[in-house]
Amino acid sequence: MIRLVVRRLVSAVVIIIVLTAVLFVLQQTSHTNPIRLLVGANAPESVVQAARRRLGYDQPIVVQYVRYLRDLASGNLGISLRTHDTVAADIATFLPATVELALVGMLFAAVLSVIIGIGTAGGWRGSGTVKFVTVALASAPPFFLAIGGILIFAHRLTWLPATGQTSYLNPPSGPTGLLVADSILHGEPGIALDALRHLVLPSFCIAIGPAVSVGRVLRSSMQTSLASDYVRTARAKGRSEFSILFRHALRNALTAPLAMAGLQVGLLFAGDIIVETVFAWPGIGLYVEQSIPSGDFPAIAGVTLLLGVGYVVINTAVDLLQVAADPRIAIS
Amino acid sequence: MSLAIGTVPDGIVQRVAGLAGRGARSWWAVFALGTAMIMIAPVLAPYAPTQAVAQPFLPPGARFLLGTDDVGHDVLSRVLYGMRSTWIAAIIVISIGVLIGGAIGTVAGLARGWLDNLLMRVTDGFLALPGPVLAIAIAASIGPSFGHTLIAISIVWWPYYARIVRGEARSLAARPFVEAARHGSQISVWRLALRHVLPGVAPAVIVAASLDVGNLILMLASLSFLGLGAPAPAPELGAMTAQGLSYLLTSWWVPIMPGLAVLVLALGSNFLGDGIRNSVGRHR
Repeated sequence: MIRLVVRRLVSAVVIIIVLTAVLFVLQQTSHTNPIRLLVGANAPESVVQAARRRLGYDQPIVVQYVRYLRDLASGNLGISLRTHDTVAADIATFLPATVELALVGMLFAAVLSVIIGIGTAGGWRGSGTVKFVTVALASAPPFFLAIGGILIFAHRLTWLPATGQTSYLNPPSGPTGLLVADSILHGEPGIALDALRHLVLPSFCIAIGPAVSVGRVLRSSMQTSLASDYVRTARAKGRSEFSILFRHALRNALTAPLAMAGLQVGLLFAGDIIVETVFAWPGIGLYVEQSIPSGDFPAIAGVTLLLGVGYVVINTAVDLLQVAADPRIAIS
Repeated sequence: MSLAIGTVPDGIVQRVAGLAGRGARSWWAVFALGTAMIMIAPVLAPYAPTQAVAQPFLPPGARFLLGTDDVGHDVLSRVLYGMRSTWIAAIIVISIGVLIGGAIGTVAGLARGWLDNLLMRVTDGFLALPGPVLAIAIAASIGPSFGHTLIAISIVWWPYYARIVRGEARSLAARPFVEAARHGSQISVWRLALRHVLPGVAPAVIVAASLDVGNLILMLASLSFLGLGAPAPAPELGAMTAQGLSYLLTSWWVPIMPGLAVLVLALGSNFLGDGIRNSVGRHR
């Protein structure tokens, strides 16, 4: 058990190092030349060479990579070519809004995937419709769901606000950075409610893709689970259908969907970048989208590294949770 | 040889036969017909996709079925061209993924030992990273263009196929008919892989690939939406939606129609993929 935990942690570290190597190579091949951006396009060759030496770009590639790793370890992600601020500071500004959106999105995804999984597992009435709606929703690009949602729920029905994180000009800030939590802590339930209303559409849009994938896996493992002897025994004991579904079948059917959920976090992150763009959500997704036209690679690399590390950490945690939930995995 | 074929387990024969069986054949026909319809977009499109042909923001009507955009382009023509380039891109990326992943998976599955270990470690490393996010970073690094998006997505797309092919190749390599071919006659490794192993791998890969096209279309549209595809006047579905976003409330058809086209393409691919899976691998 401990050996397994150590091995998973070591492989997580190795993968993160690989990610830094990939980003380093991409930084080198990036079509924006950092020195030219610094000294200007018309600077004489001698100035360019001096800047190259000063910044260490004339050193062997391995030395540059080691320096890049050292910078990363001290939290230095470089300087954004667009905002002229450090990427780390930019991310610190924009991250809380994304964390809030992603957390609510994951909650939505979990609830929806259980509804999809159970709603289609038993073959009861209406499951065909649920299946069709799920396939249709999973086939919609996130930006289409987003603009469709804005048109219908914000513009036509005016149930929900269209864009942004809040309608208030000076919402409370700190200590958590999450607007809903902060508003409650500052004793402003009205602002918290408004923030929640702003969260509904974007979080639904990032949740739907992952929810359908996880729901499909859950459906097939639920079908296995529902056909098992212990479910038949529970039926024979006269347990209610609710108790059979949620206490007996669902708990034993969760291992495979959990693994799928970990993998789907990558899709959720990518969806987040798109959805933040459409909803003008002030998070790191919007930051990336705005960095693309100006070729601001340090900013894009910083966010990619952050999301990559987040993805690896979440999947390692899922792996370990699975072992905790089902010790048989550790043996095989 | 005849002995080797005689020992092929029934399951494999059925699966390979399933690719050409009656059920599968109708799905291949649907695939071919759909592809053909998408490919003749230049004939179907009533106007040139990158030329202003009318006033901007004409609502959908008899002359311009899907309306015109902010420049005065015919939205229908642009959508048809956009669907074609998305479809071509999806086929290219899937083919690259199957070729690279297939080659790596076959080598790993048949080689065993350190080579298998090395190749699968690299594959697992890629699978352990968030592919969509990495594709965005790669495309942003090498600069936005249609070809670069294809390269970026291909780089993150092959490991999935390497995994599938390696698993299938490994289990096939242990079957008696491959053992017989390996030891009984003096055949080259190439022949062993191409004639005896790959036909057995094909069904699993084709099923996986056909279920994958829908996701790939969404991925392509998303990169295009973020401005990583071909530059501005090119008729790309994601980019058309992104550029039309500011007119959502005044002229909804400008951003909605290209998005709807992506939905139609992806939905069609998903149903096609389901059909192919059900007709090829029903017993799996």
